[in-house]
Amino acid sequence: MNASIIDPLQGDFPEVIEEYLEHGVMKCIAFNRRGTLLAAGCSDGNCVIWDFETRGIAKELRDKDCVAAITSVCWSKYGHRILVSAADKSLTLWDVVSGEKITRTILQQTPLQARLHPGSSTPSLCLACPLSSAPIIVDLNAGSTTVLPVSIPDVNPGLAPSSRNKISDGTPPFSPTAACFNKYGDLVYAGNSKGEILLIDYKSVQVRAMVPVSGGSVIKNIVFSRNGQYLLTNSNDRTIRIYENLLPSKDGLKALGDLNVTRDGIDDSVEKLKAVGSKCLTLFREFQDAITKMHWKAPCFSGDGEWVIGGSASKGEHKIYIWDRAGHLVKILEGPKEALIDLVWHPVHPIVVSVSLTGLVYIWAKDYTENWSAFAPDFKELEENEEYVEREDEFDLIPETEKVKESDVNEDDEVDIVTVEKDSAFSDSDMSQEELCFLPAIPYPDVPEQQDKCIESSSKLVDSNNSGSPISEEGRPNGRANNHASSPLEEDAGATRLKRKRKPSEKGMEFQA
Amino acid sequence: MASSGSGQASPPYRPYRHLKTLRGHENAVSCVKFSNDGNLLASASLDKTVILWSSSALTLLRRLVGHSEGISDLAWSSDSHYICSASDDRTLRIWDARSSAGECVKTLKGHSNFVFCVNFNPQSNLIVSGSFDETIRIWEVKTGKCLHVIRAHSLPVTSVHFNRDGSLIVSGSHDGSCKIWDTASGTCLKTLLEDKTAAVSFAKFSPNGKFILVATLNDTLKLWNYSTGKFLKIYTGHVNNVYCVTSTFSVTNGKYIVSGSEDHCVYLWDLQQKTMVQKLGGHSDTAISVSCHPSENKIASAALGNDRTVRIWFQDT
Repeated sequence: MNASIIDPLQGDFPEVIEEYLEHGVMKCIAFNRRGTLLAAGCSDGNCVIWDFETRGIAKELRDKDCVAAITSVCWSKYGHRILVSAADKSLTLWDVVSGEKITRTILQQTPLQARLHPGSSTPSLCLACPLSSAPIIVDLNAGSTTVLPVSIPDVNPGLAPSSRNKISDGTPPFSPTAACFNKYGDLVYAGNSKGEILLIDYKSVQVRAMVPVSGGSVIKNIVFSRNGQYLLTNSNDRTIRIYENLLPSKDGLKALGDLNVTRDGIDDSVEKLKAVGSKCLTLFREFQDAITKMHWKAPCFSGDGEWVIGGSASKGEHKIYIWDRAGHLVKILEGPKEALIDLVWHPVHPIVVSVSLTGLVYIWAKDYTENWSAFAPDFKELEENEEYVEREDEFDLIPETEKVKESDVNEDDEVDIVTVEKDSAFSDSDMSQEELCFLPAIPYPDVPEQQDKCIESSSKLVDSNNSGSPISEEGRPNGRANNHASSPLEEDAGATRLKRKRKPSEKGMEFQA
Repeated sequence: MASSGSGQASPPYRPYRHLKTLRGHENAVSCVKFSNDGNLLASASLDKTVILWSSSALTLLRRLVGHSEGISDLAWSSDSHYICSASDDRTLRIWDARSSAGECVKTLKGHSNFVFCVNFNPQSNLIVSGSFDETIRIWEVKTGKCLHVIRAHSLPVTSVHFNRDGSLIVSGSHDGSCKIWDTASGTCLKTLLEDKTAAVSFAKFSPNGKFILVATLNDTLKLWNYSTGKFLKIYTGHVNNVYCVTSTFSVTNGKYIVSGSEDHCVYLWDLQQKTMVQKLGGHSDTAISVSCHPSENKIASAALGNDRTVRIWFQDT
């Protein structure tokens, strides 16, 4: 990658809205592993795959059987499959390259979230969190479901309603339980309505450990960082908590089993689970907004786990808070006045993508500033003034050092032009698997009588295929943000320097209806 | 020769020999390229056409007609299905290489002067083009939209190339500078040369994307490490001070640099030793373009107006 020549001084988190994508009403989004493709589920039951590099649509997955809104999308590990859950209680597994449906399963209840098993490239198991019951493991090939336990009653396994379960906001006892796989998929981490994180071995359908969250309020979201080292929970008490995962990434289940053995001495099973749990997770940080006390929505980690973002769950505002892992709030991103419904961070780049209630997908990125020293090879940017110490012979008529300055590079050194360095950001990739990084781009044939126009794709890029056509800055009727005065394609006849200008206003962008 | 250190004995160099001369163009041939799967060879010419040849049988398959002016450059998509040609009629055309009719799928308009150089990115969803109007344009293959217009240089852009993962573009220009751009934002990341004395006629990334091969119109080829900004190797002996002669890496059997030259020959240098190992003569005009087959030890070269042929050279086994 080009990491060596990118200026390291720029902050690693996004600042402004760079672009937005429009296609129907999108509800939920997910990046593939490398962030080259973005899948979005729409309210009409279709799933759109965007090519994130060109910001154009790469593929559409349409199913005539499914017309209900999509509630979640999930990629398989190497990007060959997508699992889509919809409001008509169905789970559909798609093959990405061919665009064909593989299986479709109907559940008892609408799944709010469905996650494919992260360990294999063609997974058959998935974890679904239904609307108001315990999370289930679904075998997509067999169509069978296994309900996971979400509480630890003293005597019976399974769901036993507890009378001491008081929830402050009045929601019914078994409000959606959040759950996720750990990094290699051997354990399921579930957060229940009593404010407990349970580590469940789904193969034996047993709770193996339990970590109580202080305050005991309902856990709404639970998610791992990409490297599996940190776990995030979002609770009803308006706090986001980060836990450090003490189990090893690989073979976490085995390590858990080893822990269990050493605790045999304790009789009370609940205490035993808690003791084991304390060896699996420790609380690292808590985030909350003490002033506005807002509820959070769709919190997640950045790709490298260094940053945590959370969206404000208040209606009518589109705010994204960015914290560093140490707990300091570094930025608040404000978008147009529409509620935020989903949020993801790009796996590699400092880019955040958010979905608003109106169905638009906003892409937030860093504000690009031209690096002027890039234009002059001999110049170097300094952070602050430096005292210049001249060489001994700098002002000599024939300086000594000039003569040997020619090349301090040994020209006889061997140069390797073929070996490729492994990309460290993806160190866990199994090289034998072929990853799907991009879908082949097939050019749409030009329609003969419209040689001058290009086919309108749904991103907001302006048509500039006409040679010499001026920028269409006039507000187009379907609501373009009017301060995108410089869309990336303008043929700026007068300006001297062309770059992708973005309006840095963070105070909310006015939106033309 | 094996790419070993200077101390070890390496097998003797086996010279390339002339295999066949392909005639078919009616004017100077400006560019020749093997497809990435090695099955086809495409040549572009000032006679406004692109000819597709079978690279195994070395026969003419199809002629792609459509441009209204001569063609300066062409590029293959990674899956070898599409060819993009850059022409003096200020447009780029995307052709379907598989269709027997040789139809043009798309025309990309936007440049205001001759389009001189073109390349696909490895994912083949973007095309980069450089033009005499001093700009670089990045196009989306699927819809033909121009995604970026970069005011790159102060004189015609002679060469553009994507690196291995498509995140960087290197561009060379008659203004003597070689610049590296970030694909996603269109911003300049680095300038390699600022030498106003010699125009840069060609620039290309090495197969692993770490080095850039730069040709300048003072009969010199240099291999630069762009992160450190220093050049590591110099190759000389050929003649190049007028035309934008292309050069390339040959990696199928030892590491060489291959380049055309204005003295009508094709030169090969050992990459590490920088010594010229062979000079292939036979053309009767400037050898303007060379291309190496991706898997076989074959080189194709094309020459200008007096010659108008494409010559195929292969290495003795």
